[in-house]
Amino acid sequence: MMRNEYSILPFTFKRLPHRKMLMVNQSGEFIFVSSNDFNDLLNNDLSAGSPTYFELKGKHFLADTDLDIAQEMVATQLRSRKSFLRHFSSLHMIVVTARCNFICDYCHASSAALEQQRVDMNWKVAKKTVDLIFSSPSPVLKIEFQGGEPLLNWPIIKEIFHYGTFLNRFAKRQLEFVICTNLTLLTEEMIDFIKEHKIAISTSLDGPKLIQDLHRKTREGYSGYDVFHSNLQRLRERIGHDGASALLTITKTNLSKLQEVIDHYVELGFDGVFLRALNPYGFARQNMEQLGYSVEAFVSEYKNILQYLIELNLQGIPFAEYYTTLLLQRIFTPFSTGFVDLQSPSGAAISGVIYDYNGEVYPTDEARMLARTGDKHFRMGHVLRNNYEEVFGGSLVKELVKKSCIEVLPGCASCVYQAYCGVDPIRNYVETKDIVGHRPSSDFCKKNTMILDHLFQLIDENDPDVIDVFWSWITRRPLEEIRHDKFSRNSP
Amino acid sequence: MINIEKIQNRQPFITETEAGVFLVKLKKEFYEQEAVMQASYKFTNTCFIKIDAMEEGYVGIWFKAKLELHVDPELLLCEFCNEVLDQQVRLDLEKRYGTIRDSIYQFAFAPIKDRIEDLDG
Repeated sequence: MMRNEYSILPFTFKRLPHRKMLMVNQSGEFIFVSSNDFNDLLNNDLSAGSPTYFELKGKHFLADTDLDIAQEMVATQLRSRKSFLRHFSSLHMIVVTARCNFICDYCHASSAALEQQRVDMNWKVAKKTVDLIFSSPSPVLKIEFQGGEPLLNWPIIKEIFHYGTFLNRFAKRQLEFVICTNLTLLTEEMIDFIKEHKIAISTSLDGPKLIQDLHRKTREGYSGYDVFHSNLQRLRERIGHDGASALLTITKTNLSKLQEVIDHYVELGFDGVFLRALNPYGFARQNMEQLGYSVEAFVSEYKNILQYLIELNLQGIPFAEYYTTLLLQRIFTPFSTGFVDLQSPSGAAISGVIYDYNGEVYPTDEARMLARTGDKHFRMGHVLRNNYEEVFGGSLVKELVKKSCIEVLPGCASCVYQAYCGVDPIRNYVETKDIVGHRPSSDFCKKNTMILDHLFQLIDENDPDVIDVFWSWITRRPLEEIRHDKFSRNSP
Repeated sequence: MINIEKIQNRQPFITETEAGVFLVKLKKEFYEQEAVMQASYKFTNTCFIKIDAMEEGYVGIWFKAKLELHVDPELLLCEFCNEVLDQQVRLDLEKRYGTIRDSIYQFAFAPIKDRIEDLDG
């Protein structure tokens, strides 16, 4: 039998139930094919006139007369996917104080007591930090104020803002500021400043009052939720409804109550949630028995709540799950999503970096927390003693980049989800004392694999309602618009 | 306890060499070292694994469960055999079309000016 003349372009694959295969190419395009077609493809026996042949050709899994063009197309899409590399060191998190008025059971940063003002960032360190930030080549600079509770060192936030804005008159970058706060210390003066300078607010919400107050405890024993709630309303009245977003931390307590949590987010007028599993750092690591759960338990609840969110959207309540949205953007579009935890090479240090109150620089908040417990493996340098090249061009950053390319990591190199996933070298180090890590025992790998398995199952089922909701999340457009556009396209 | 006789009748490539130690024997003619290594790596969470040469033309992979297995060992080792096969398919594809991947990466990360020159011929 004469073999068909075509070249196969690089791809990864996975066997699915019912003799089906999932194939994903280097630019992240995917296709489901039957095992028979897959075998025919490998043996160069795929019939050139078959629909599968055309689909494989159209999605750049094979090329016949146009190999050069196909390679360029895949390369261009790959370049788009990796475009986050052009924004080298764009996210700069500054710990303006390690003090906090809360003492949360799952705190990563192991916060300091209110009276310990020695853990506040001073002007000398703050100025050098901003100087270092403006040495970054990135056209976009995002400065995120973190803590502890950053509002406890409000004067330095204002100083950093003014100095950064001054430097930017000459640097002309796209400069953005975010304050990550529990909102409980918010004053009218702060709200005025936030409003005047269009500073974004990121806060934390774990659910209704009983759930929120259970693990997010104030040092003085009052209900943090009540103050959070009234300040959120006050803030929104002044800066508008979209001025504040919230982060959810999932513990054993709220894992089984996620529907209640989502309902509360909707009630408070948020339009989405990030289902963030508990990470094994700081107090969370110490309190794992009380707070933790298995990956299987998390993914099981994730599936339930995803279904619930889809139903909410179909009932006319637009509400997105941001982690799913991020993965779907990667699955359905060739664009770079730039999420530090899901990048290859890892976004640690090259996309985001954190400056501790004392001037020490770390690739991530988790690395800073490790240092707090005595392990300074990931200390990149010090703002008073090192320049930009020394901090960002040092051996640590080179090692992080070299050992966090998913394309060559053991266990990841042949994974079908490689194009959509990323590497977390700090977590690998925490779990195995080696930044390469061990995929077969990695909860990070297990969680992402299980979630992507579920998403691809939904995509394969191709329920129009589900896919429409997914597209409304990806494009941030109302569901009715997505459906109207589809209807218009399908009309004669 | 696993019914070895049953397994040996149905799956002659899996044997229990001593209590709790299972051997999968693969022909080198069909499976390369890299495919065996990559497939074995995926099972290192559940099993201790030893890879060694056997009689002429064969490689042996010995498995011993780290803790009590929650899956049937037969199923686990059959999955291993499929995994080696899939890894070998990947290696074969790499040999046939690996240069295409290299040129895609080269093109994707080339400076823009080089790309324009390439396109202009």
